[in-house]
Amino acid sequence: MIAGALLYYQRHWWHNRLLTRLRRLRQPKYLLGAIVGGLYFYWYIFRAFGRAGRGARFSPEHQDIAQAIAALVLLIMVVLAWILPHSRAALAFTEAEVAFLFPAPIGRKTLIHFKLLKSQSVILFSALFVTIIGRSWGGGSFITRALGWWVVFSTLNLHSLGSSFARTMLLDRGISNWLRRILVLGVICLLAGGTVFWLYNTMPPPPPIAEGTENSAWLNRYAAQILQAGPVPYLLFPFRLVVAPSFATNAGQFLIALGPALLVMGLLYWWVIRSNVAFEEASVELSRRTAERIASIRSGNWQARKPKKGRRNPFKMAPAGHPAVALLWKNLISAGNLVTARVWMFLLWILIFGGFMLRSQTQGEAHLGQALAFLALILTALSLFWGPQMLRNDLRLDLPATDVLKMFPMPGWQVVLGEVLAPAAMLAGLQWLLLLLAVILFPNRFDNYSVTLGQRLDIALAAALVLPCVDLVAMLIPNAAVLFFPAWFHLGKDAPRGFETTGQQLILMFGQLSVLALSLLPAAALSVVLFLLTNHFFSTGLSVLPAAAGAAAVLLIEAGLAIRLLGGVFERFDLSGEVLQTG
Amino acid sequence: MKRPPEKFEVLSGDAGCYVPRMEIAPPIIAPVPSAPLIEVAGLTKLYGDFPAVTDLSFSVRPGEVIGLVGPNGAGKTTTLRCLSGIIPMTRGSVRICGRDMASDPIEAKRRLAFFSDEPRLFDYLTVNQHLNFTARIYGIANYQEIGRALLEELEMADKTDKLPGELSRGMKQKLAIACGLLHSPEVIFFDEPLTGLDPIGIRRMKDSILKRGRAGAAILISSHLLHLLEEVCSHVLILKNGRKIIDGSLADVRQRFSEQSGDNTLEEVFFRATGESKDAP
Repeated sequence: MIAGALLYYQRHWWHNRLLTRLRRLRQPKYLLGAIVGGLYFYWYIFRAFGRAGRGARFSPEHQDIAQAIAALVLLIMVVLAWILPHSRAALAFTEAEVAFLFPAPIGRKTLIHFKLLKSQSVILFSALFVTIIGRSWGGGSFITRALGWWVVFSTLNLHSLGSSFARTMLLDRGISNWLRRILVLGVICLLAGGTVFWLYNTMPPPPPIAEGTENSAWLNRYAAQILQAGPVPYLLFPFRLVVAPSFATNAGQFLIALGPALLVMGLLYWWVIRSNVAFEEASVELSRRTAERIASIRSGNWQARKPKKGRRNPFKMAPAGHPAVALLWKNLISAGNLVTARVWMFLLWILIFGGFMLRSQTQGEAHLGQALAFLALILTALSLFWGPQMLRNDLRLDLPATDVLKMFPMPGWQVVLGEVLAPAAMLAGLQWLLLLLAVILFPNRFDNYSVTLGQRLDIALAAALVLPCVDLVAMLIPNAAVLFFPAWFHLGKDAPRGFETTGQQLILMFGQLSVLALSLLPAAALSVVLFLLTNHFFSTGLSVLPAAAGAAAVLLIEAGLAIRLLGGVFERFDLSGEVLQTG
Repeated sequence: MKRPPEKFEVLSGDAGCYVPRMEIAPPIIAPVPSAPLIEVAGLTKLYGDFPAVTDLSFSVRPGEVIGLVGPNGAGKTTTLRCLSGIIPMTRGSVRICGRDMASDPIEAKRRLAFFSDEPRLFDYLTVNQHLNFTARIYGIANYQEIGRALLEELEMADKTDKLPGELSRGMKQKLAIACGLLHSPEVIFFDEPLTGLDPIGIRRMKDSILKRGRAGAAILISSHLLHLLEEVCSHVLILKNGRKIIDGSLADVRQRFSEQSGDNTLEEVFFRATGESKDAP
């Protein structure tokens, strides 16, 4: 009867979830998101579905190595499950499930069964995903490979549950996490040491690389020697049993491989069900933490977790002065201890010292320094794209607290300015460090052109002048999106999910890039004009400075106008329909 | 339409809601010389087409503590949020200490504090950092002195380096209060201030409200805990479906609704005024 109730819950959970998703497609924002998200997923994932089974296959020799490697990966995952975790056994339930199921007259075995049943949705999705993605990894049909992956994931899930119960039992018997880790690592070291010793004494040395032989062929032969002889096959035997169905090349082979794999699964299931461990208390705590984390992530705080201890002040803030600085100060604190003046000074020192050390040591062999310089420049350019996506400690983070911001006796433009200052400052600081590294490491000659230190400094100074202004404009764009399209930014733990929200994010990202490109055009045009004018009188290196100053001025004017505009929008901003509850 | 009981009349535009017919002269309240600190005239707030608050007018003078009561969905929280400038009103005007919330919101907000039912704190700021942040926003030069005194009064002087996540529900509430009172507001709005507090916390909150009221602040409290409101409020304003049913001093309102029975608690007044049934279904 209880199992029926749990099945009823699961069935209706899926049914209602699907209905809700379909119903909300009536809203244009979700429909548009669904179309874009659908195209994205089709392009990158589902298009592969049609080609599944038609991909390249491993040769029989490679197939065996691949299977052994898969078994090795599984072995590592199993070992890690005994080493890394430190908490007591906890089954992941939602808060509602805890509230309804835990006080209900349900035995722990039923709860475990419910949990196992519930985890099947994730396992099935993962199996399908890996089958599509790894269409060229093994032989067999789509169905046999999908079932094979289902066996692998289900076995891992059972092991994860069983090992968590076993760890808890060890804790209850006074064996601490560290003692357990030492014991497990000791066993692993013994096995690994024994294997290496055996290999060293009995295996032939690696075959020499024949002239003209590809490295991969040589490596394959040697790997095959190690994986197919000596103690390694015995160590990997149970794991090979589990992965064997997913590597079966035909239905007959699959059925033969399936029996032993199911036997391993059955043994693990028996182990899980027989373990008599109290998981309820830890599960309640886990569900609370999970709910908090989900709410935090969906509210735009990708760092998710609440801080565990207070963070240092980024700078000493006087009580009097421009109130927007208070928001900058607050948002810098939210970014964590990485943005204190001490850390930045430390990074600066490391870069200067390390950069000059590297340059002096690679005078003859300039490739590494040059590569690092180019990497720094590429990262600086890319930061204009990923910076506004990653650094979100602005209105996007504070959107759920809009009612608090609205209460402050500050004009809207000050709130907007204060909110965007922190991420813009952090991004600019990072870019300056990268520029500094590039200046130090960039070679004196590049592509037959002489690039003196003075020229490098001129260009870097120009970039250092322009980049913070670009960052300010770039940060204003997502904040403008928050104020103009608040419904597109999802808040709280009930925020919608699904590929339509992925589509919305893609649209926002495309919008961000387009608006940024447009807003850079006037500044770019003016800087070109200024450069051409001044280049008649100054050297090329010096001419970039007035050009950069002109561009920075235009960008600052744009940012100022945008901040004024957005300030007005913020003052009229009425989130009552989105985040505030009405009384 | 259903006929109202004897000696009652239907409140205009609200079928099923009755107020006592005024057959005796209302008690004369001595005029208070000071000007109102909160003046609300014709406040209307629409969510789309739905009227959350309709044509609400009232005023609160220094030292008055008004209890804002009404059934769920009556528009209490919306009213408080409009008065605090958190959400824009659709029509009407709100003046805080003589400053118009629409045309001079900065100066109006500088003089008020709003405490929501759930303390709204920043997860990553410690108690001290909250005070420092608030001081900069409101420009309070001697915030350390005031903050220390407030923290001591609220018995959390030893929690200055704690994060909100390390504080109990009551402590979080206290921190929100310390931040709100740092700039010595003349107007204070409380939305369900007693939610989640233990008996000692409730007692202290009541004392704190009375103390601010005696100090001359105009206080508006929204709560469902009618017996507790009776202890702290000098006035009451009853809302239903976004409309004002009655407002006035507690004694006046009691008198208006106590004609048929000797029971004149605020709870009884509430049920009569809103036309709600006291008996559980």
